[in-house]
Amino acid sequence: MARIRFQSVTKRYANGATAVAGLDLDIADQEFLVLLGPSGCGKSTTLNMIAGLEEISEGVLLFDDQIVNNVPAHKRDVAMVFQSYALYPHMTVFENIAFGLRMRRVGEADLRMRVMQAADKLEITHLLERRPSQLSGGQRQRVALGRAMVREPAVFLMDEPLSNLDASLRISMRAQIRHLHTQMRSTFVYVTHDQAEALTLADRIVVMKDGTIQQIGTPDEIYESPTNVFVASFLGSPTINLLEGALERENGAACFKRGTLTIPLPALQGGARNIVLGLRPEDVGTPGDGPQLHGVVDTAMPSGADQFLGVLVDDAMLFLRVGKDVRVRAGEAISFGLNPERLHVFDRETGRSLRGAA
Amino acid sequence: MIVPRPIGPRVVRAAILAAASVLLLAYVLAPVAWLLSSSLQTEREIVSIPPHWIPDHPTAQNFRAIFATGLGLAQPSPNGADPASGGFIPSVAGNLLPAMGNSFIVATAVVILNLLIGVPAAYAIAKIRFRGRGVALYAILATRVIPDIALVVPFFLVVRKLGLLDNLASLIITYLAITVPFSVFVLASFFEQMPDDLDRAARVDGCSRLQVLLRVFLPLARPALVAISLFAFLASWNEFLLALMFTQTAASQTLPIIVAGITSDFTVSFSFLNAAGVLAVLPPVALAVIFERYIVSGLTAGAVKG
Ligand SMILES: Nc1ncnc2c1ncn2[C@@H]1O[C@H](COP(=O)(O)OP(=O)(O)OP(=O)(O)O)[C@@H](O)[C@H]1O
Ligand SMILES: [Mg+2]
Repeated sequence: MARIRFQSVTKRYANGATAVAGLDLDIADQEFLVLLGPSGCGKSTTLNMIAGLEEISEGVLLFDDQIVNNVPAHKRDVAMVFQSYALYPHMTVFENIAFGLRMRRVGEADLRMRVMQAADKLEITHLLERRPSQLSGGQRQRVALGRAMVREPAVFLMDEPLSNLDASLRISMRAQIRHLHTQMRSTFVYVTHDQAEALTLADRIVVMKDGTIQQIGTPDEIYESPTNVFVASFLGSPTINLLEGALERENGAACFKRGTLTIPLPALQGGARNIVLGLRPEDVGTPGDGPQLHGVVDTAMPSGADQFLGVLVDDAMLFLRVGKDVRVRAGEAISFGLNPERLHVFDRETGRSLRGAA
Repeated sequence: MIVPRPIGPRVVRAAILAAASVLLLAYVLAPVAWLLSSSLQTEREIVSIPPHWIPDHPTAQNFRAIFATGLGLAQPSPNGADPASGGFIPSVAGNLLPAMGNSFIVATAVVILNLLIGVPAAYAIAKIRFRGRGVALYAILATRVIPDIALVVPFFLVVRKLGLLDNLASLIITYLAITVPFSVFVLASFFEQMPDDLDRAARVDGCSRLQVLLRVFLPLARPALVAISLFAFLASWNEFLLALMFTQTAASQTLPIIVAGITSDFTVSFSFLNAAGVLAVLPPVALAVIFERYIVSGLTAGAVKG
């Protein structure tokens, strides 16, 4: 069991590149933490530092209360699933799964039992005598999972373990991984750049960019109250609509102005400035008493359960999600009701949210 | 609608390929065939024109002379021919087997030390990021740019200072200097092709660096290991220049030195020379046949994904 703490950890590679800068992170015991961010933001580097595969340039990494900066990988109670699976090509599936146990001198009977249990759970019992080269991608992925699972480690690390799988397999594996977490009672740290994966799996999400943490929070917090434009636009599909405009005060009440568009933002403090208004595609309703949005339908794209509309509001194109019952055609005028509570407001200079903080 | 097909370009191409293969084979194998055939001929038959590819009167007298122990200096020829006619057994005949033994000891020691030194060095260069890694690889490669002949004098001085002249150790040490850089280079590029994640996975699974090397990388590197072992063996087995410089007596002389010595007798027995030649090529050929499987897979190596 392990709580993992980063204290102002910086990682510089030999070529001088800073992959992670001043990282502060406290991962609770048995938490499922997801590191989320675009390619090159330092997710893998962070994970590798936990595993002991990368040295820490500055700062302190603790497992519980022990500093582990200089503890080599094979002495940490950590298991890891790699994106490339990294199965040992010269060993059978059984030996692949058993390898970590053999290295830890687990007795033959116990070892056999644990491998069989894991294989059973992952439904790969019939593959145990095969070599990795004789497996499909999904099967390899499960072997990789099994190899980490049998170790019953205190810390379970996964670096984009599902990214090489096809879409449907990915969804079912997500459920399995989540299930694994409840059973194993280990601390899980999971790296992905897939926001949907992060939102379904995580207890907490850490959004990273350029080696720094942008926001830490539960999936709901991250989705509902992004602290900056980057986080807001990284989560959600289709992405949040961003409208640049100005914050003005009319009779003391704040409102967003852009061309002919005026949206009152009653809860907002602070003086006039340039802002960015964020509107999630699903946050529009039928026109009511609240503020309204008028535009012209540009495109209508049905997507199974509902449909996406491209709506031209003044000169800005917004993507909005509405029910299938809304029957509109391109070129028709359309109006929506807005809930000011669900609008996101960011400072245009700093990109920071003006909600709550302001 | 069935049109008789003319002899297609495909057939022509196959015929050309076959003919070319036969020519190449003949070109490569003819000297070897002659070596073998003439080693079984008498001195008189060997000089007959046209040459007899298949001996009329095969004789094992040359081999008998080599394997008969206790042959001293300047044996009269078993068939009683006059030395001037060239049908005699040279004085060094009795040294051939000891020389072969020397060659074998040197080559085997060089192979073993190559593996012991080359494997860890190559692994470190390929998978461990340490200060000076690039420099190390360059330095190792740079030593192979220098022609061996330039090293003869420095090597000689070092060997003499160490008091190892006329000692097999002098050969082992200098052959290592020549073969280890090549071994490290080949193995390092082989290890480099193996995914980093394999190394990382093994370490997370509980392997120290040394255990990763022994349990994961070595089993996968078998073709490369065979390739460098063969190279080190052959290079040591065939080496002439340094052996000529450092060895003086039968105690340390290797096969190439003795074989070359046969030609410096004042009469030369060609059939005996060729018999010695057959013995000299036998071990390398045997090794190549035994490890053929690995040599082929070594050429297609790198297919360790998965
Ligand atoms: N061995 C290395 N040497 C030098 N720079 C590196 C090395 N590994 C990673 N980097 C750099 O560090 C930064 C972070 O890399 P990292 O692999 O942690 O990104 P990531 O978030 O995992 O990206 P991805 O989603 O593409 O896997 C990148 O800019 C990368 O170029
Ligand atoms: Mg990565």
